[in-house]
Amino acid sequence: MTPLFGQTLLLAALLLCAVGAPVGYMAGAWRSSAGLQWVRRMALGYAALMVMATLLMEYALVTHDFSVSYVASVGSRATPLHITIVSLWSSLEGSILFWGLLLAVFTAGVAILQRRGHEDYLAYTLGTLFAIGIFFGFLLAGPANPFRATLGGIPADGPGPNPLLQNHVLMIIHPPMLYLGYVGMSVPFAMAVAALLRGQLGPTWLLPLRNWLLVPVSFLSLGIMLGGWWSYEVLGWGGYWAWDPVENASFLPWLVGIAALHSAIVQQRRGTLKAWTTILIMIAFLLTILGTFLTRSGVVNSVHAFSLSAIGPLLLGFLTVCIVAVVVLLSLRIDTLASEPNNDALWSREGAFLLNNLLLVTLTFTVLIGTLFPIVAEAVRGVKVSVGEPFFNRMAVPIGFALVLLMGIGPALPWGRADRSTVLRAVLTPIPAGLVGLLLAATAGARSWSVLFTSAIAGYTLWVTFAQVGKPARQRVRRGEPVATAVASSMRRAPRVWGAYLSHLGIIITFVAIAISATLQHSQEGTLRPGGQLTIGEYDLTFEQVDRVQQPHLMSQRARVHVNHRGSYAGVLEPALNFYASRREPLGTPAVMRSVTHDLYLILMNVGGGGSVGLRAIVTPAVGWIWIGVFVLVAGTLVCFVPAGSPVPVRVARIVPSGDEEPAR
Amino acid sequence: MNRVVLAVGALVAAPLLIFLALSFRSNPNVIESPLLGTAAPAFELLDLDSGSRRLGDLKGKPVVLNFWASWCVPCVAENAVLADAARRYAGQVGFVGIVYQDDPVRIRMFQAQLGEWGPALMDPAGRTAIAYGVYGVPETFFIDRNGTIVHKITGAVDRASLERVLRDML
Repeated sequence: MTPLFGQTLLLAALLLCAVGAPVGYMAGAWRSSAGLQWVRRMALGYAALMVMATLLMEYALVTHDFSVSYVASVGSRATPLHITIVSLWSSLEGSILFWGLLLAVFTAGVAILQRRGHEDYLAYTLGTLFAIGIFFGFLLAGPANPFRATLGGIPADGPGPNPLLQNHVLMIIHPPMLYLGYVGMSVPFAMAVAALLRGQLGPTWLLPLRNWLLVPVSFLSLGIMLGGWWSYEVLGWGGYWAWDPVENASFLPWLVGIAALHSAIVQQRRGTLKAWTTILIMIAFLLTILGTFLTRSGVVNSVHAFSLSAIGPLLLGFLTVCIVAVVVLLSLRIDTLASEPNNDALWSREGAFLLNNLLLVTLTFTVLIGTLFPIVAEAVRGVKVSVGEPFFNRMAVPIGFALVLLMGIGPALPWGRADRSTVLRAVLTPIPAGLVGLLLAATAGARSWSVLFTSAIAGYTLWVTFAQVGKPARQRVRRGEPVATAVASSMRRAPRVWGAYLSHLGIIITFVAIAISATLQHSQEGTLRPGGQLTIGEYDLTFEQVDRVQQPHLMSQRARVHVNHRGSYAGVLEPALNFYASRREPLGTPAVMRSVTHDLYLILMNVGGGGSVGLRAIVTPAVGWIWIGVFVLVAGTLVCFVPAGSPVPVRVARIVPSGDEEPAR
Repeated sequence: MNRVVLAVGALVAAPLLIFLALSFRSNPNVIESPLLGTAAPAFELLDLDSGSRRLGDLKGKPVVLNFWASWCVPCVAENAVLADAARRYAGQVGFVGIVYQDDPVRIRMFQAQLGEWGPALMDPAGRTAIAYGVYGVPETFFIDRNGTIVHKITGAVDRASLERVLRDML
């Protein structure tokens, strides 16, 4: 019963998409408001169907209905409930269903949120989203159908989801964040397509476009960071980023999305770069599809890769259709998005934005080449090779430095043309702050050039960031407003500016933390008998014993390690090795003791005879700040969504009327 | 119609799509090398415990010489295959790994997690890798009893090819 019902829902959703796409384009071309109303209703219907299909799948998973093929392949009665719920995205078919759900919800979201004032664009946008929906609907109806009836007798129990999914709570959050980022990129893409078809990209459409672009970029930031954090907490190598093809696949649209956000700012301020912004958004979308292809087709080797699947060629077909459509559409319509003439100087805010775009695109291209090189090498010479970390680090680190420095220089520069002395003053003033950063790092004991250099750049950029964000408030204070009111007013007035600089602050935190953690990590290892000791830095570790914990779906060996920090008791760490029923090799669970300045990271490498263990301890300074920085970045993007309000000047006088406190000095 | 956009788009997209499509072809993994049939370049390298190892020490036994690194993803995939073969052919075939652009700490971590199938020799400045014409990892050379390179597998070795080559050599 459930398989039939589920398939019916999915087929109905596919049908809605297949009708919605042409109706959307026709309504757009004929500017028919009746047509638009129909398309909007279909968008809501599409979302309703996909929500029902997903709930039905969840119901089947939770009730262990093994008559549904997907449940039979990932379900297990021994799996805890919360893992069963999230095993919706633990395997191919379920993840495509989840994908379809998100696309439908985004489509309905656009239909609801942009319903007023954007009739010209909305029908085309929804039509494009439906066109993308056709492909995923087709996958769900056929090759990746999660609701197939189980063949040949219903099994009593299933194998359970991928052990990697079961190992850590971050794995529950990381995939949906990335999916939200990937699928979310369809919305700005569809909006850019609408702009091209309409032949104009004015400020009224640019603002919602920027907002909808912020959505996937924020989710990608979170998703990428959570993936790194997960990898750090689970994979047990003490690192968080390996330039794995699938990591790169999520990094690429993020980079281009960031570039597009910045070029959209220039467009908004100066009316230039319209075509460029549009092209970037299109590339960002194509990169999400390329990423999906790389992840889901099995053509690259990766911890993430699903087994070689039949949908690989279909995804390639879809990528081909998308690329051809984008190239044809761009070449036919790009000239309609004429930019306003400009004669801006290179040493200006716009110049810095351009350079930022250039660097981001270069970095994208580099990472793309490195990611695809193994595929090209295989096609040309019939070999599988890895390009590996050395290549990526050599290329990405200098560009990263340049980008962070530009984050300081760019905002310091004035918009438009300015005379030489203004430019020089703007660029030179923050240099003392850079020197302070350098000195701070040097007195803290940093000797590696990359940490010193990063600290100098960070000091410079921090100064500019605070100076810029505080500028309107300072002007208000000079006009006599109290500091708190001035700050609140300027925040109210321009939440986007505050959000943007808060995001910059997050990037600086992350960047400095990456530099410090990458260069100052140190480790110690040893084979310990019970009672044996290992010393690393300020920590003395005493191994007590190994415990065996048998759970229904796994057997864990946990080493109890007593930790002393500077001679006093700091806690007990229990790194473990987990043996899953469905996997031959054990998976480690490192144990981490966090502090503000550094992490102590323990890995149980093996359990030997006589209760001895192989332990590896890593002390990584600043690593926690990488995640904090990304949270700050995302908080910044959230602030950008706060609608700008009027300032709050005179109210102060009314709030404190009694006079026992001076409202203004 | 903007011809520049069309041309650039086509120039970028066409090769990309072709290469992606080609990636579906079944991958033979075994390709020719100019070194086939020639004497294997001799080496003397240090293992992780600073013990000296020479290729000559294994003379009289066929040798499987694998260039690998802990950062290399296909190397993870082939590790179990090599470990299994090394166990089954213990005493008959020498299994030697040469580390390619990596550091001993990471190599130890890798071995601790995924298993160890033979000595991992450090190759400072990649001299031995250059002598063998390695241009990516993993690459595996098969050296017969007389010290001649008789076969090479580029990319991760799979169980079937490894078995076939080893049986030919014994």
